[in-house]
Amino acid sequence: MPELLHSGELDRVEYDIERGKIREFARATFATDPVHTDRDAAQAAGFTDVPATLTHTVVAGHQRDQRTFVEALGLALERVVVGSVKWTYLRPLIAGDHVVGTRRVVDDVRREGKRGGSMRILTLETEYVDADGDPVVRLEEVLIERGDHR
Amino acid sequence: MREPAKAQLGAIADNRVIGPITQTDIVRFAGAGGDFNPLHHDPEFVAKSGFPGVIAMGQMQAGILSGWLSDIFGVENVRSFGVRFVAPVFLGDTLTVGGTITAIAETDGETRAEIDLTVSGTKGPVVTGSATAVVAKD
Repeated sequence: MPELLHSGELDRVEYDIERGKIREFARATFATDPVHTDRDAAQAAGFTDVPATLTHTVVAGHQRDQRTFVEALGLALERVVVGSVKWTYLRPLIAGDHVVGTRRVVDDVRREGKRGGSMRILTLETEYVDADGDPVVRLEEVLIERGDHR
Repeated sequence: MREPAKAQLGAIADNRVIGPITQTDIVRFAGAGGDFNPLHHDPEFVAKSGFPGVIAMGQMQAGILSGWLSDIFGVENVRSFGVRFVAPVFLGDTLTVGGTITAIAETDGETRAEIDLTVSGTKGPVVTGSATAVVAKD
């Protein structure tokens, strides 16, 4: 049975920001700005190397086990939907960065639905820091678990 | 660094149309992001799930929206980007991505635009969102 890490930490991911993965992700999201795929274009635009696209932190999916984390929260996977996600940027992620993202539960409330069912609404925040320990991007996810009666 | 884009209130002139969405688009995004939930690629699994067909991951639509946003404003100028998932996207849907600048104001010594965002599918909005980006006054 998985358990929460100390001090409310839910999980932690750690990865390198890689030029090839930036290219893959840019192509998969139809981003066309050449700064993501061409180092010369990136440097001409003032970056030290190619910057990642805005939602690049989604690549954490390669490291996470969704089922384990849902069980750690005591949620029923089949009734959970992601309601919203918000990124706040302190600087772009650049190829060569090494980031550590720590995810915490910041809010956990129940709300009565209009038809008598109750929903659980969980807000998770992931703060990514770079190799110097400085925050670079914050990610807020709101998960909604619908009530189990029909 | 690059100069921020000039901006004025109102609808952003260039939309982006993506689609029809294919299984290949979804598989490519799965490989990029690491979401291998069978709802997004396995028709037999989908048939047991209650969905009428394979659906794209919400993060694919979010990524398409953010790619359009950063192509216009420059990735280094975007201060925040948020999305709400409104409806699923199915194979064959064509997505139209667009936005409207609702405010331009000075914040922390920068000129920032507040932008409302929408991805619409064949039957209406699938993702709505908002963003803040540094711009130049037009």
